[in-house]
Amino acid sequence: MKKCKCKCGCKLGKLLAKLLGGVLLANVVLFIVFFFDLDGKFLFKVVEPLLCKHYDNMERKDTLKSPYDMDKYPSYQFNS
Amino acid sequence: MAKKNRDYKKLARDFWYGKPHGERRLGELYEDKTGLYKHREWRGVSDTLYYFYNVWLYNYAHMVTDVMKYGGPINFAKGVWRYRWLGQTYLTAIHWIDRGTEGLRGEALRASPWHHRGMINSTIKQFQRMMKADTKIRGGKKNDAWYHTIAHNETVWGGMFYPWSDKFESVPIEMVPYFVTCHVNCHTVHNYIDAVQSIGLPGDPCPMCQAESGLFVLDDMPDYAPFMVTCNEACDASVATSTLQDWFWDKPLFALPMPMQFDDPLVHKYCMKEIEECWKFVEEQTGVPFNWDQLVKMLKLQNELQEFEWEKWDVAAKTDFYPINGVSQALYRIYQSQYGENEIWHFCDKKVRKVMERCVSKKINPYPQTRHRVIAWSCAPLYYSHWCTWAYNCWGLNVVINMDSLMFDMTIRTDSYENCLSDMATYHMWAPMRRMAVGGMHHIFELWENMEKFNCDMVAMYDQLQCKGMQGVHGLFEDEFRKRNVNAFWMPHALPDSRTVSRMELRRIINDYMTTVMHEEPLDPSLLDFDDSMSW
Repeated sequence: MKKCKCKCGCKLGKLLAKLLGGVLLANVVLFIVFFFDLDGKFLFKVVEPLLCKHYDNMERKDTLKSPYDMDKYPSYQFNS
Repeated sequence: MAKKNRDYKKLARDFWYGKPHGERRLGELYEDKTGLYKHREWRGVSDTLYYFYNVWLYNYAHMVTDVMKYGGPINFAKGVWRYRWLGQTYLTAIHWIDRGTEGLRGEALRASPWHHRGMINSTIKQFQRMMKADTKIRGGKKNDAWYHTIAHNETVWGGMFYPWSDKFESVPIEMVPYFVTCHVNCHTVHNYIDAVQSIGLPGDPCPMCQAESGLFVLDDMPDYAPFMVTCNEACDASVATSTLQDWFWDKPLFALPMPMQFDDPLVHKYCMKEIEECWKFVEEQTGVPFNWDQLVKMLKLQNELQEFEWEKWDVAAKTDFYPINGVSQALYRIYQSQYGENEIWHFCDKKVRKVMERCVSKKINPYPQTRHRVIAWSCAPLYYSHWCTWAYNCWGLNVVINMDSLMFDMTIRTDSYENCLSDMATYHMWAPMRRMAVGGMHHIFELWENMEKFNCDMVAMYDQLQCKGMQGVHGLFEDEFRKRNVNAFWMPHALPDSRTVSRMELRRIINDYMTTVMHEEPLDPSLLDFDDSMSW
């Protein structure tokens, strides 16, 4: 019984240590991203230019060709 | 080589508490032109960690959870791919908070970013509803969300649709695609201004109206609702916007006018009737009757927000313990009061109340370097709403209050239908860019009583170069400033268009005023002159 308990305890301890290590590492990495504004640099220099290129080349409907339907809906009556 | 004398005690103190105001040299943190940070500011251990966990990480995490909560990642991804204003703005939201909160410490840092959190949540809620209902990203198919969404101009107060809010969601047409984008990423709106001029419309009307029309010219507006309610506010350029929206969107439309001279009791009665007509129109379009109980429920919630706002004003006016900075105060208030009731406002107000009460009870001055208490008047440059953060860091100018915050100075009675309608008409007519901008001299000159009430000794006078209404009273303000011996500087701008008067030029104007008229030295000389022309 004792042996079994110890094994479980060790496994649990290792798992907790790994979890703690993972959380710490994530915190350090995120803090580096935060402090050196790596999020901003990535968005400004990579993501936004790519998105803008996509938006600039998008096919768009020529809205000026839409008819201006004056009589499509029933005329409005002011009731008061 | 001379040996450097390092004061390790001071280094340790700066590390632990952050550098004192005069030594921060915040301007040296920027990369040239882009406004990106070489590194974010070290504010001392406690404040840096607070900003990292409770602002940066918290807001990034909630930007994801909000997307999941309000419409899911697929609608969001489709929206980002389809609409420029969405993709270019959403991703840069955290840097919007950065710009607004530079240099803040302690309680100021704990109160101000909650306002950004509120606005980001509300923005995501709106655009996700648009995407959930949009026919353009689902091959023209109309779904249940489309049939249950009401579209209206951003200048129509969201409260008009409270009676249907248990069954329908009302989403302002331009609040996110135009208004929010200008603050968060000022590049986006240039596309829409240029688009409307490219079809031959003149370049001198209000650029807000140009941009709002340009969204439709470029076919960059989701089709998310079966009908719309438009408004003539702020001016006749807005009427032109509605005409273009009517043409390009081609939906049943109700124009809900907003009278200019609203002090006239007959005009007030006329406005009440117009609101009732609008309600009839909504009933006809939705097939759902007006729900008085729902209206009362929502108005009571909105009144709670107003009551807290009054408490905030009291603290701002009568003490030095107000923890909210100029840009947070201005943007949150105009957004909240115009959009109307939303759960997130109550959540954020609760957080801010805690900080504010702590400041008052412990007599904490969150802006200890204040040299002048400033009131900002008229309509602000949307691309540089965070100028007041810079002005405090550089010159000690603390923008305590602004015109847009003060417009909706009322709760709405719910004791009877007549009283309620009457108050709603007043609220409707006290809209942004109307009551104190083009609503008559008496209201425009409410500046003087508010200057006294908020104990301000300086005016930042916005000068919207393309607003024919406010341009007409420029000289009258000049005369009054001289007569009353008021320290005031003008800030020319073209509302959303950062190309007309750049941020750098605005800073130069304030620098000139502070050196040549006030004969003062900057608190942080590194912020006097830097190039952020490509900045979001």
